[in-house]
Amino acid sequence: MESIKSSDVFKKFSGIATSLKNSEIENWKKQGGKVIGYFCPVIPEEVFIAGGILPFRMRGTGSTTTDSADVYLKQVNCGFPRHTFNQALIGEYDFLDGLVVNTCCDTIMRLAVDWEHAGIKTPFIYSLDNAHAGGEAMVGHFRNQLQKMKDAVEKYFNVEITEQKLQDAIKLCNETKLLQQKLYELRKLPNPPITGSETVAVMVAGSSMPKEQYNKDLKTLLDELGNVNTDKKYSARLMIIGCGHDDTLLCDIIEELGAVVVTDQTCFGSRVMIKTISEEGDDPLMSIAGYQVLDVPYCPKTIGTHPERKQFTMGLAKDYKVDGAVGQCFISCDPWAAELYLLKSEFQEAGIPFIWFEREYIPDLIGQLKTRVEAFIETINN
Amino acid sequence: MNTEIKVEEVDIYKELKTEFGGLGANSFQGKMQDYVKSGTPIVACTDDFFPELFEAMDLPFYFVVRQGLESAFHAGRGPEAVDGYDEFNGASTLCSLQKASAYLLVKDLLPKPAAIVMTSTSCDAQTAVNELMSNYGPWAEVPRISVDASFEKDEASMEYLGKQWIQTIPFLEKATGKKFDLGKFKEVCEESNKQTQLLFDFQELRRAVPSPIRAEWGFIAYMGCRWSACGRQEGTEWMQRLYDATAQRVKEKKGIDGVTEKIRYTWFDILPCWSDKLFPRLEQEFGAVNLMDLYGYCAPWPSIDTSSLESIFTSMAKRFLIGNPMTRQIFALSTVYGGDAVNIAKNFKCDAVIMPGHVGHKDGAASHKIVKDMFRELGIPFFVIGCDVFDERYMDPEVVYQKISAFFETSGLT
Repeated sequence: MESIKSSDVFKKFSGIATSLKNSEIENWKKQGGKVIGYFCPVIPEEVFIAGGILPFRMRGTGSTTTDSADVYLKQVNCGFPRHTFNQALIGEYDFLDGLVVNTCCDTIMRLAVDWEHAGIKTPFIYSLDNAHAGGEAMVGHFRNQLQKMKDAVEKYFNVEITEQKLQDAIKLCNETKLLQQKLYELRKLPNPPITGSETVAVMVAGSSMPKEQYNKDLKTLLDELGNVNTDKKYSARLMIIGCGHDDTLLCDIIEELGAVVVTDQTCFGSRVMIKTISEEGDDPLMSIAGYQVLDVPYCPKTIGTHPERKQFTMGLAKDYKVDGAVGQCFISCDPWAAELYLLKSEFQEAGIPFIWFEREYIPDLIGQLKTRVEAFIETINN
Repeated sequence: MNTEIKVEEVDIYKELKTEFGGLGANSFQGKMQDYVKSGTPIVACTDDFFPELFEAMDLPFYFVVRQGLESAFHAGRGPEAVDGYDEFNGASTLCSLQKASAYLLVKDLLPKPAAIVMTSTSCDAQTAVNELMSNYGPWAEVPRISVDASFEKDEASMEYLGKQWIQTIPFLEKATGKKFDLGKFKEVCEESNKQTQLLFDFQELRRAVPSPIRAEWGFIAYMGCRWSACGRQEGTEWMQRLYDATAQRVKEKKGIDGVTEKIRYTWFDILPCWSDKLFPRLEQEFGAVNLMDLYGYCAPWPSIDTSSLESIFTSMAKRFLIGNPMTRQIFALSTVYGGDAVNIAKNFKCDAVIMPGHVGHKDGAASHKIVKDMFRELGIPFFVIGCDVFDERYMDPEVVYQKISAFFETSGLT
């Protein structure tokens, strides 16, 4: 096999990642299953899975305009919530039975009210208050917030989320994380059998379909990756850093130019799988809270946490032997822009070439982006 | 925001303004250069932190964002700071005030602190500057403490915040060498309670028809009581004089001198740094009086319960989450944001509501539709502009004036 692109499993993942509705969700719904959309990986999908509900990570995939959403959100608001909200307004999210937003940014935290006000027919809407600073002191409080969310889900959907069910959900999601870790390990090879673009598709699919089936498919894909001819030479090994990038745009640009993306620090990528949740202890919600608050890299919206993020990001760069890093954030995402500004000087101090830019969530034109990336890769190669 | 009101004012207010300048000069902020020269430990913090603690510890402090306002925009160097920030390629859509603060930081124009205290709140832009502040080169090793404020407003969330804030005491003692004295802290908090009560009483006076005083005075009073002389007797006395002078005008049914009040409106955001190019003109042309702005509006703050250290910090947390201007509206659902606009419009008998739609306020931008519909239901004319309240180059004040003129005319208010 020359490329994983010819794999049926990969084609399935790719199809799921490039659309909102998919056959897995259709089958789930046909069997009477419920689906909850959630905006940010800080919202633990384990709670929904424990309630027998399919979690779906929100995205604006397929959107071509924000005409409808612009009544509620303005140009100064980031394109990610605008496009995603627009998709909901035109009915693309009709399959949702619930929506959970969180206090992850100025715009997203307001979507719960906008959603309801706009008359989108999502019966259950919940706002989760996540921690906005890092440290031990926040774990207990976040655990209590998770308890409230769990109680609300139980009440609305008339389900019982027992500790045993939570433990089982943690195990299931940990299995996903471990499989995804194996996938990332392959990218450490001198000639990775999977590209950055392909990895994005696999990762995005993981938050858009039932976990049991995803794990089964991912195991198959990992087996197939063992048969991929890995002779292809790349001009540079790059990592990408940034917020919730659910498309392959940047990876496509980089890889069409002859380089390869070997790792990332994004919240559709390494952030969701780099560690597993503790299966020890008798309070699974506390385990989830501890994982979210202390174990995984903090979002830049979490104040006072840049040193930890820097350490994590630099560690990835070293482990994956990157030749350079490309940062991207959506226009209007102030916390990520500040983060990339700081990382730029820190990467340069470490002797790792770094470039970053702001871009639209769904850009009309990519020429300028391509030119900058091309120049960056040339600089590395020189 | 601009405290230079061009229209002639009666003598008492000129005196109060002079005294206000004296409060500022005598504040920690006013004496900052002296502290820098003498090597006195200084604390840098987010503007949401409460000054009572610093006052009690006799610990000089400054709000980073206030530096952007006073050292850049009020000093006539706002555009320079914004352009300077843009040159070093930070977040392009950052609020211009935060850009100015970040510029001052990166250009080493802020006093290097001995400690940094940050509370998670306000906007994404503030978060961005927090991270720059605590990690920027020369400041990277400065001890810092980060406190998580809950979005929720229940008792547990208040206690959660209060307990974290208590930890700032040993942190500040260790980082600065200053000592904390509970008795002194209680005294300061009790003085602060008097000031807060006067702020409320003053706000009540401003409901009068005609309005006895310009909206700018709400912000000046807030700055006097919260920023310059919080917990100081001199601040309380100044606030009392402001209250007395205004009460007299209400008693005499005096409106703003030289203005025939015809339209009462609220400017629901921060007052612009270019106020003098807009508000006096609206007063003269339309008899349009701005009654209130976001920073001049004090929603009911709980008094500080000084019975114990814990009760002080819990009540501070309540003030912070449900009272602090902007924190209250921004760290909340759009319905709270809009609800406050509605309360102001009703309580102050407004004929119209103008939302400047400051381009840096992404939170506000995500709430406009909700707020607009609230006013549509009430039948109160409502208008969103989309200007920059700090950097007038984004939308010329003349354009803002023309837009408001058209709004007044099409709403049948003229």
